[in-house]
Amino acid sequence: MKIGAWKYVFAALILGVTAILLGISSSPDKNLHLIACDVGQGDGTLITYESTQILIDGGPDSKILECLGKHMGYLDRKIEVVILTHPQLDHYGGLIEVVRRYEIENFVANALDSSADAYRELKREISDRGIKVINPTESTAIRYGSLYIDILHPSQSFLLQNSDFAQTTTNANVLGSFTSKVDPNEFSIVAILSFGEFEALFTGDLTPDVIPEVIAGGELKDVDFIKVPHHGSKNGLTKELLNATTPEAAVISVGKNNRFGHPHEQVLTLLKDAGVEILRTDEQGDVEIVTDGKDWWSNP
Amino acid sequence: MRFFIWTVLVIVVIVRFFATLPKFSDGQRVRISDKITTQPIRYSYNQSFKLSGLGVYLPKYPEVSYGDDVIVEGTVMSGKILDAKLIEIIKGKSPLLGFRQKLIKFYEFSLPQPYSGLVAGVVLGSKTGLSEGFWELLKTTSTAHVVVASGMNVTLVAGFLMGLTCLFLPRRKAVVFVILGVWIYAFLSGFDAPIIRAAVMGSVAFIAQATGRISTAWKGLLLSALIMLIIWPGWILDLGFILSFVATASILIFEPKVKKILTNFPKILREDLSVTLAAQIGVTPIIFATFGQFNLLSPVINVLILWTVAPITIIGGISAFVGLAFPAVGRLLLYLCYPLAFWFVKVIEIFS
Repeated sequence: MKIGAWKYVFAALILGVTAILLGISSSPDKNLHLIACDVGQGDGTLITYESTQILIDGGPDSKILECLGKHMGYLDRKIEVVILTHPQLDHYGGLIEVVRRYEIENFVANALDSSADAYRELKREISDRGIKVINPTESTAIRYGSLYIDILHPSQSFLLQNSDFAQTTTNANVLGSFTSKVDPNEFSIVAILSFGEFEALFTGDLTPDVIPEVIAGGELKDVDFIKVPHHGSKNGLTKELLNATTPEAAVISVGKNNRFGHPHEQVLTLLKDAGVEILRTDEQGDVEIVTDGKDWWSNP
Repeated sequence: MRFFIWTVLVIVVIVRFFATLPKFSDGQRVRISDKITTQPIRYSYNQSFKLSGLGVYLPKYPEVSYGDDVIVEGTVMSGKILDAKLIEIIKGKSPLLGFRQKLIKFYEFSLPQPYSGLVAGVVLGSKTGLSEGFWELLKTTSTAHVVVASGMNVTLVAGFLMGLTCLFLPRRKAVVFVILGVWIYAFLSGFDAPIIRAAVMGSVAFIAQATGRISTAWKGLLLSALIMLIIWPGWILDLGFILSFVATASILIFEPKVKKILTNFPKILREDLSVTLAAQIGVTPIIFATFGQFNLLSPVINVLILWTVAPITIIGGISAFVGLAFPAVGRLLLYLCYPLAFWFVKVIEIFS
């Protein structure tokens, strides 16, 4: 070979080695990272432990991709579990692009339908790719190694009472099989993530009307961390929920200067009075909680 | 005789400009059925594109793409269609555009954001894939021109094809394939103004070269500008078109002088820096007059990132082609781009 050709081989070699080094330097540590992504006005939380990722909601638009790009190694193109708490755009909008770009193993969502064009697009992308859909109920538990997710809501009886169709269609593991006159927020999937002694509660846009039912389910417990329901809206967190879970830290996923006036003063006061540390995506950008399964701390 | 030809061309441009002024008046209800000929821009909740010269904003879904036929209804107001409603969308069937889509999907599936958007932007001029946050950073650092495929890409593709075809064919015959390749690339990269300008100009230069006529870059530039204005008269008011024209003219005038001043710089930096600085001499006053802002560090940032564009384009291009046939191999090749893209993004982040 001529010298010219060797030059290219050498350059390719350097690039290859650098790519490998960058891959190693971005490979995960032994801790679990919980990142409330700054997705603007919406919800999107990435949980990543070694090569396992769980994404709860995807925010309104493709901004979630930047968060995934930043917090997942660049070689990891697989998300093991995506949970869509309920079919509203500020929770699923970004998932359309996530589904198009990542390999998704399980898509956990209610069968509650939405007539929005964007939701139709999401359903089409999921079925085109043959992604496994799971319609959860209160008895659903998901386990990945030392990561556990327990679903507390919606319960089988709640689904039966509030859907317009018969029992068989509420959990047939498909998307959009039933409609309801009830506010979609009430269908929000509520889940507890456990990793060692660390526990975190995810609440979607849970409303005060349904909170008593979730508490009555008997599965709620003391947690370290709570994602405040409904972006800190007055129509979300209640004192009862706070008392039942006694979190140490709370994240409010909310857009800067949003038109809804979230988070509500009442909710902030509620948290302050209970001595809960408040973390906000509109003030801090991505909020990251790190835990080794015993202690946890927040990364600035 | 030559003077006569130039005069005729200029007159045709003027006639075309007035003959093609928009036919719509404000407040008029319209139902437009047309093909989308440039890339739609996607926002959080909307997408926007031009249809028959009118700006259209639609909800983000269903998505329309470059090459689709659409029917849109609404009311015309100062060059835009207000309350635009999408009546029908017939997906474009062009195999080339389908191919472009496949290449972009390959990047999106293989690399995380903002790297996938960066590579798709550099290789194919795809603006739709850039994340909004990264696009903002590019704008504040005055480097957006690098990512929306520019004339530089056309030069790269032409050079690459020339080198390849000359292995099999005599130069004069190779030119035919190079020109064909350049136009296929222009089509693939979304037919944006700077790409077309470079493709037209490159073709003029190649033809002149092949037919043995001594062509000066100046004549090529003027001729390509006139031809483009005859085909797309509206471009005469398009800032992008004006900027790319002025930038090229400015490079032709100032580049040799700037290069002389920079004799003390290392050779690897001198080329990029002299081109960048020469272009900015002409472009800066226009940008300043239009936007009232300009990033003073822009030449430095450009020098730091420009050298990555050629290898990203070539590695990105080859890996996507390979990736369509053997996804795993293509992906491995694409990872060679990652350190370059990583450097590019870090530089932009630091300077913004």
